[in-house]
Formats: sequence, C-alpha cells, structure tokens
Amino acid sequence: MTEKTKQTEQNGSLSKVKKVLSAPRFLDLLPLIGLVIIVAVFAVMTDMEIVTAKSINLILSQVFVLMIASTGVFLVMTIGGLDFSQGSILGISSIVISSLSFYSIPLAMVAGILAGALIGAFNGFFHVKFKIPSFIVTICTMYLFRGLCAYMTTNAPVAAVTNITSLNLTWLKVVFTVGVLVIVYCIFTYTKLGASLKAIGAGETAARFSGVRTNLTKFLVFVAAGAITGFAAFLNVIKVGSITATAGNQLETMILIALVLGGMPISGGAKVRFSNIIIGTLVYCVLNNGLVMLGLDTAIQQLIKGTVFLFVVTLTIDKKSLHIIK
Amino acid sequence: MNEIILKAENVCKSFGITKAVCDVSMSFVKGEIHGLIGENGSGKSTFVSMLCGIHSIDSGRFVLNGEELHVKNQVQANDKGVSIIVQEMGTLSGLTVADNIFLGREDKFVRFGIKNTAAMNREAAMLLEKYGFGDINAAAMIDNYNFEDRKLIEIVKATHFGPRIVVVDETTTALSQKGREELYKHMRRIRDEGNTVIFISHNLTEIIEYTDSVSVLRDGKYIDTVKSSEVSEDELKRLMVGREIANKYYRTDYGQPVEGETVLSVRNVSVSGQITDISFELHKGEILGFGGLSECGMHEVGKAIFGASFDRAGTVALANGTKIDSIPCAIKHSIAYASKDRDNESLVLFDSIRDNIVLPSINDLAEKNILKKKKLDKFANEYAKMISVKMTGVDQFVSNLSGGNKQKVVLARWIGKNSDIIVLDSPTRGIDVKVKADIYSLMSELKEKGKSIIMISEEIQELLGMCDRIIIMKNGVISGELARDERLNEEDLIVKMV
Repeated sequence: MTEKTKQTEQNGSLSKVKKVLSAPRFLDLLPLIGLVIIVAVFAVMTDMEIVTAKSINLILSQVFVLMIASTGVFLVMTIGGLDFSQGSILGISSIVISSLSFYSIPLAMVAGILAGALIGAFNGFFHVKFKIPSFIVTICTMYLFRGLCAYMTTNAPVAAVTNITSLNLTWLKVVFTVGVLVIVYCIFTYTKLGASLKAIGAGETAARFSGVRTNLTKFLVFVAAGAITGFAAFLNVIKVGSITATAGNQLETMILIALVLGGMPISGGAKVRFSNIIIGTLVYCVLNNGLVMLGLDTAIQQLIKGTVFLFVVTLTIDKKSLHIIK
Repeated sequence: MNEIILKAENVCKSFGITKAVCDVSMSFVKGEIHGLIGENGSGKSTFVSMLCGIHSIDSGRFVLNGEELHVKNQVQANDKGVSIIVQEMGTLSGLTVADNIFLGREDKFVRFGIKNTAAMNREAAMLLEKYGFGDINAAAMIDNYNFEDRKLIEIVKATHFGPRIVVVDETTTALSQKGREELYKHMRRIRDEGNTVIFISHNLTEIIEYTDSVSVLRDGKYIDTVKSSEVSEDELKRLMVGREIANKYYRTDYGQPVEGETVLSVRNVSVSGQITDISFELHKGEILGFGGLSECGMHEVGKAIFGASFDRAGTVALANGTKIDSIPCAIKHSIAYASKDRDNESLVLFDSIRDNIVLPSINDLAEKNILKKKKLDKFANEYAKMISVKMTGVDQFVSNLSGGNKQKVVLARWIGKNSDIIVLDSPTRGIDVKVKADIYSLMSELKEKGKSIIMISEEIQELLGMCDRIIIMKNGVISGELARDERLNEEDLIVKMV
C-alpha cells in the first residue's frame, strides 16, 4: 500500500467517525448515553451501592438546588453569556431568607427571590449598559457579593427560624423543582421570548434587525437567572437551617460543569436543548457522589472532575460559533 | 506558447454532505489571464482555496510545472509560487503596511533573532513606489487606510515575490473604477512576465474584456473552457446556468409615471457623520432607487428608515402620520429591511432556516402568546418553497448556504411578513446571474401587488433597469433625482455621483 492511499483511507475512516458524531440525532442522545454509562460504571465500581434507595435519595437531595440554579444560567448561556455570580447570589439570598424567616416564611421566600433578582439586575445593567462581557461583570459581582456574604457572617452564622427545617420534605422540593422546570420550559419553548433568546445567542445583530429588543431581553435574562437562584436559596435554607460564609461556594462552576456535561454548547445559540439542564445536573451529582463513595481523596476528586470537564468541552466545542460568547 | 503550467487532476472537496468541488480536472497555460466563472456555490472559491492551501484536498491533486503541489497553508503556497488575493479583507489590522506585505516572510529581515524594521519599511516603500502606490506610507498602520487602499496593498503583498500563479478571487466588487484599473494593469503585467493569473468574477463584461480564456464551473463540476475572444456574455451565462436564460433580465416597461399615493415620507433625516438633511417620499407600487459611491451615505438611509440608526434626527413617517423610531416599530408597521451586510445584520447565521424565516413574524404567528412548532414549520416551509430556497430542509443552518440562497432566505422572511414597504440594500451583491434574475422578477411581482420598494445599489445597471425613480447621493446629501427613462445611461448617473 502506498503512502498516499494509506492517508486517504485514514481520512476516510476519520470522516466517518466525524459524520457519526455530528449526526443530529446522535448528538442529542450523547448526554443521555453519558448518564447511563456513568451510572453503570459507578454501579460496577461500588458493588451496586450507588443504585440503592439510600444513595439515590442522597443524590436527589443534592440535585434540587443545582438543578433550579442551572435553569437560570441555562437562559444566560442560551443568549451566549456566562454567569459566575450564582454562588454569591445563593449566599446573599440565603442570608436574606434566614434573617426574614423570623417574621414570615413566605415573606422570606419572596424577599430571597427579590434579592437574587436585584443582583441579576446589577449584572444585567453593567453588561447591557456598558457592554462589558458578561463573564467579566459576573466575576466582579461574584467577588463583590461573596465579600458581602463573608462580612455578614463574620461573627456567627446567620441562623433561620428553627422550625424552617421542618419544611425539608422531599416531596415539597420535588414540587418546587419540577415547578421551576415546567414554567421555564414553557416560556423557553412556546413564547416569543424563548425564540428571541436563541436568536440572540446565534447572532445578536441579526436578531436586533429582526425586531428582537435585544438589550431589554438580555437585561431580563440576567434578572431571571438571579431570581431563580434566589428561589433555589430557599431550598438551601430549609435544608441547612443556618448560613455560613461558604454558602453557595463553587456553585457557579458546578452549574457550568453540569450544563456542559448535559450537552449544552458553551457558546449558546440555536443548538441548546432544555434537556441539557436535567441530564447535566444528574450526571454531575452521580459523578460527585460516586467519587465520594469510592472513598477518593478530595484532591483526586477535583482532579477527576476537571479532567472530565475538559474532555467533554473538547469533544463538544464548536469552533465556528465561539466568537459569540458575550 | 501553449505550455501548461498548472493542472488540476480529479480534485474533490466536500463539506459535510455538500459536494463543493466534484472531480474537477483542468489546465492553465503559462502566460495567460484565465477567467473562472460559475454561479454562487458552483465551487470556484473552494477550488482556488485548495490550490492555495486554505482548504485541504479530499482527493485528487494539483500539478505545478510537472511537480505535485503539496501545500498546507498560504505561506507554503507562496513558497511554491502560488498566491491569492481574497474576496474579503486579506490584510491584518493592527500591523503596519510593511508588516502586512512581508507577512510570513519576515525572516528575510531578521539578523541574529532581531527584525530590522527599518530595512523592511525601506523595501516595502520601494515596492509600493514600483507598483505606483507611492502615496501609501509603508511604516503606517494599515488601519489608517480604507478598504480600497488595503486591497491595493494586498496586490503588492500577493505579487511582489514573482509568483507563477496569482489567484484574484472576486476582488473587483470591492473596488472603485480607479482601483479596478490598477488591478487590471497589474494582472496584465503578471501575464506579460510569463506568469498566470486565475481571475474569478461575476462580472461577465469584465471577464470577456480582460481574460484570455474562461473556464466554467457548475454545481462543483467542470463544464468547459473557451477562448474569451470567441465568446459572448449570453453564451457564458448559458454555460453557467446550463439552460437558456430569458433575455428579460430587468423590467421592460417604460413611460408609466408614478402616481400612487405616498406611503412613506422622510423629512430632514440626518445621522451624524453619515447623512445630512435627507427628505423624500415613497409612493405606492414604486421602486425607488438610491445610487452613489459606496461611502456616499445611501446605505445609512436604509438603516434610518428601518429605525436602526443609532443617532437619528428628523422624522420617518407613514401616510397616516405614524412615526417610525425603532426596529420593532418599523416591523410592526410593515417595513422590511434586507441589509448589505447579509451575514451579520440580515441573518441569524448560526440558526436554522426556519427560525430565520419566522423571527420577524413571530408576533403574528403566536396564538394567545403561544408558539406552536407545527405552525412555525408550515410557515417557514411555505415561504422557503415559494422563493425556492435550495435546502435539505428548514432545519438546515443558514451558515451552510451559499450567498444567493442566504439572500433568498432573507427575502422569504419579509415576503412571509407581508411587508408593504421593502428596503433592499444591495440585494444582488455577490449573487450569481440566476438568482439575480429571480430577485428582479420578484421585485416586479411585488411592485404589481402594490408594494413599495426602496433599492439601494452600487450597480448602476440594475438601478437603471429596475427603478421608477433614482435618487443619487454624494457626500451624505441628495445630489440629484432622475425619473425612469429608456434614454438614461450610466453617464447621467455618474456625473451626479462624483
């Protein structure tokens, strides 16, 4: 066989692999296949321990806050933005909810959502008005509000009213989570707003020239992401009961990793799927718990998570549309 | 003197499922200007991109001077004596003129790891002088020069080292008459020095006048090569399209004065730095043309009408007095706009044909604020098919379509919106004969339905052929107005433009 034919043959098989990988149906299914594989791998490695009722319950208890908060960031990423302020929003909103829970629990919940929305508005304002890329604005707000969180919890953790943890019921959290998912899904799929989000992510100038109010929409998306995480903070408070300086620590990276594991293109746009949220957060929590069950050192766990994340991003990234990240 | 210098042998290239170039074999003779024509998506640009190392070759090969050509990038291609002047901007911002000219060959000026900038600037200045572009400063940042000057600099960049093959890819559309003359001059010089120019253009007059032979591609396949002196434009068109094109290219009716009611009036509109005090009226069923040099401000007029200018003074109002101030307001009141910058302003590039077609009409398609996918699909399919967009389905991404098909998607969305006032900025820019003819007949059809069209164009022929009235602009103000008349010719318009 000559050098040249070898080369063409290699090219041939390579392009075949690429073709299978880029077939639309296969791409949509890839995250789901990943979830099944990861569950199977851990089931084998932990002698089926990960699929016992007890483990599943544990995993679910961790998934609620992450899944709700991811829903908001999903919207931000759809327009081609990134949001790193989610962890600090969860912290601030949790503190607000805890402090107000002594007066009225529903009032505290609403106030938590409002606090999140306000921080979101702060992000949106700087991003839209001064045209600062969203990941820079939100990294700044992350430090700003993380600092505020630390300040407010300097002397002692902020405790909520003691009976609030009696609301820590699985069925209630399921209802809340499904509620958020359904509402956002309907807005995303069946309204003009949802269509506008995808269009902005896929080509903002053209979206503006097609009649989309791009600035207003972008602002609202950040407000919504903040408000949704403010709601997630309520679930956080009923779970933990009192808030320390580390509340919501690393939440932003957990969300980002989860969404990418769920198949979300990092540049947003027309190829995002709502299922990215659900599958991604599940994959993340299974991975997280599986590594703990294997009894691995925390440092090793982070190393593995980092590697998996890099691997998935490398596999799924679309070079052509990367310039869109705002 | 018919020595063959370059041969393509069974060259193929696919992008996904699209076969861009399919088994093309052809030869180029030493010392000729060889035209390469074909409709959009016929594979011309892809073909020369493979020759110059911009795209890889799927199968087949190029043979230069009896030796197989193996190049992975443009620098390697240059080393083998093949260079290209590209369709879009081919110079890099943020570098000096000299840096650009010697991009990839800086080594020549490096001694002991240090670049001798002064020597490089001196040599660049000498080259510019030799090419007759002496007023360009070699040491200046390239950003100080406009698109046209940068194209001239690119000519120097691509040809100063005496390449044996120079590809000129649709460069003339970006140039003024003066710039074109310069380009033609250097193409002839390269030929007379015994080298070969491959010249891609949509302008058939230009092709026949300046080339020695012409090859035609259609749907990625090689069709034929003919002698330029023995062929007519109509014959070339027939070869490109593969069937006879009816001679009815433009409108043929004359002498019908525009008497329709006024549908849009523009009063004292100014945009700082772009246009000053523009006033005119648009009538029902009229095609109103805007002509001028590309910097004359006419493109901004289109944006101003559509409410897309950032800082506009004056008023744009409908017949009933409704003022148009923003894009959503313009769309709501039945104004459509197809931008000159198709890829950024007209189309959401990384999105499906469906989403692009439904986006402006999304308010009309919602039932009680709810969008139904079936309904959107039906709508998109209906209008994509009406305008005969060549596609695999409405799910296909717009970014994969050819220029002509992209423009069809733009038109489909506004026909779908049923807009009454349609602003078309450079609707046939970079578009081949067949789609051009489709667009002209669509415009006539719309006119007959009583729609009003504003056509902004840099092509004088199509203004003369299609418009009921032509407004000419110069330096941001209106410099003249002409009514449709058979006796009008290009001169009449040019006088008012410059």
